[in-house]
Amino acid sequence: MTRSQDATRLGASLRHAPIYLVLLVGSIISLIPFLWMVVASTHRTSDLFGTPLPVLPGGELLTNLARLQEDVNFGRVMINSLAVAIVYTAFSSIVSIMAGYGLAKFSFRGRNVAFGLILVTMMIPMQVLLVPLFQMMASIGWIDSYQAVILPFVASAFGIFLMRQSFLDFPDSLIESARIDGANEFRTFYRIVLPVAKPQIAALIIYTFMTQWNSFIWPLLMLNTEDNYTVPVALNTMIGLSRVDYSGLMLGSLLATLPLLILFLIFQRQFIAGLLGGAVKG
Amino acid sequence: MPSRKLPVPIAAMAIAALLAGCAGGSAGAPAAPIDPQADVSGEITVWSWDVAATALKRLGSEYESSHPGTKITVVDVGYDNAYDKLSVGFKAGSGLPDIVSIETDRAPGYITEFPKGFADLTPVIGDKQADFDPSKWSASSNGDGQILVAPWDSGTVGLFYRSDYLAAAGIDPASLSTWDDLVVAGEKIKSTTGHTLMSIDVSSGATFSMMLQQQGEGLFNSDGEITVSSPRAVKALTLLKGMNDKGLIKNVKGWDGRVTATKDGDSAVHPEAVWWTGTLTGEMPELAQKFGVTELPGFTASGARTSNNGGSGLAIPSQAKNPNLAASFVAWTLADTTNQVSMMKTEGLFPSYLPALADPYFQQPDPYFSGEKVYELFATETAKIPSISYTSDNAKAQDMVANAVVASVINGADPQKTLDDVANQIANATGRKIAN
Repeated sequence: MTRSQDATRLGASLRHAPIYLVLLVGSIISLIPFLWMVVASTHRTSDLFGTPLPVLPGGELLTNLARLQEDVNFGRVMINSLAVAIVYTAFSSIVSIMAGYGLAKFSFRGRNVAFGLILVTMMIPMQVLLVPLFQMMASIGWIDSYQAVILPFVASAFGIFLMRQSFLDFPDSLIESARIDGANEFRTFYRIVLPVAKPQIAALIIYTFMTQWNSFIWPLLMLNTEDNYTVPVALNTMIGLSRVDYSGLMLGSLLATLPLLILFLIFQRQFIAGLLGGAVKG
Repeated sequence: MPSRKLPVPIAAMAIAALLAGCAGGSAGAPAAPIDPQADVSGEITVWSWDVAATALKRLGSEYESSHPGTKITVVDVGYDNAYDKLSVGFKAGSGLPDIVSIETDRAPGYITEFPKGFADLTPVIGDKQADFDPSKWSASSNGDGQILVAPWDSGTVGLFYRSDYLAAAGIDPASLSTWDDLVVAGEKIKSTTGHTLMSIDVSSGATFSMMLQQQGEGLFNSDGEITVSSPRAVKALTLLKGMNDKGLIKNVKGWDGRVTATKDGDSAVHPEAVWWTGTLTGEMPELAQKFGVTELPGFTASGARTSNNGGSGLAIPSQAKNPNLAASFVAWTLADTTNQVSMMKTEGLFPSYLPALADPYFQQPDPYFSGEKVYELFATETAKIPSISYTSDNAKAQDMVANAVVASVINGADPQKTLDDVANQIANATGRKIAN
């Protein structure tokens, strides 16, 4: 390595220094809330009021965990939440992918009207839907059941929109050649189209899972038995009137972010593969 | 039931806004009146929250064993969540359980919004009106004198004070009989100890509302006319503004701010409801023996020495499937000395049922308060809480009034002018007249 190469590298590093500084500040700012969650979940709630606030983790983690389990049956509600989110993600993703593909790649009468109608539903605020949907679920007798939590939102307008946009870019010629080679529609979809769309599908799955995992108001209205609660609904019952169990809430919230983190780690490879694939093959 | 002044849940607000445009109340035929003589059997579901749910679960199993053939299921729906569930359930006309918890502050809003949504409890507790906290009874009744929410616990207000700060400034808490006395004492405390007099969240408007109720006045009078610009209201706002101008108020943000300021020992006195004892003993056990409680200072030497902040009750929606069992359970739990006292002892719920307050438990010295009999003081004051009138526009008016309090106390606007402006604003928004 020559001196001039070294100098160039040093120059490049110096030029990048401000960028790294900005990134560093940014990451500290976004990490502090998480750090606070960790600290707060290991102290007693009474230690979280008053000045100065603790900055190092304390020794109350196991006590808080035991209380969390005792107060809201946390293990049970985590399983409830996981089950609801997984089932919802599976069904909703299938609907989004298939509807998106249909809207992007098939010409049929009323296609644009159908797509327009789907988009319009995104503009209806949730609050308008609550009472009529609630009455509907009550008249079917589904109150306090998971199908009432899952089914009304299985067709997600945003998911369909996302998948339609990504399938629009898919070359028609590839689909046509598959058909000419004798593949039926489903086989073409399953073997030719889906593998290429993996990165977008990974994004869809993460988005869909997260939506259901964080969803609060609808599960709150539907679920009337403590053992059926999902995590956000259960955690909210820890806000009392003359006392708020902040350390329990923080611990619960911390544990509730873990599934999202794991999901992201699993699908991260898909993201990167998708990006690199594009870069290398052009 | 204690009440923290939290913003109304957003969804509930949006629902309320949407409902404002719709005609009519909840669907469904009017329920048959409750029959107190009916045989009770079958099962009911109860929605409650926090320690109130704990209390009902405990008493529910006692009720089951003394009333064979009944089953009481209590669900903790969470305090923050409950109102979203209630609003949607009342509007939809279905989906509500046999008994629901409602805070006293919210009860008038639900009663006026869903006039047919509640079963009339007069047949079961109507003859016991004289036995309940009068301010809660009026807040829980409709215009026809029907009692729709059975009063459970009261938010009787007293003046909590730091005895060490007062002693350092040479002030005898018994001498604080008017707010003017308190302001003078506050200046002395500030100059000797450096501490402010009160830590309050000015923007919530809660302290102002408390001072209004202390003078027997609400935002509206019994004819539904606007009273926020009345001489009493001006007096309360002038008092608050004067305190802040003298540097006696530490303005804090919300519930957490109040708890933190108290734990840090920022201020000398805290005008808070009886349930504040639970917050003190729970969050700041290290401050034991540093607090005392006395009556709230009066606006005049002979004026009321208390007010109300919080408290709750139990209601039976008209859609309840088993209203007779529900009514029997409500009366058994709330209009009963033994059970009300047990909820005070075990869950710290301060009874609105006055005969219960005569129990020896309320005469006990409290070690946290240096052996002072704090509950005796609150028990005496509960029957004296001034009653006020409510309308369906209370929630709307409350927000505007809170803004006015900030404009005057923090930004220095003239109290009379500010309150005149907000009265006009409420008149425009609600079409109501301003009282003379």
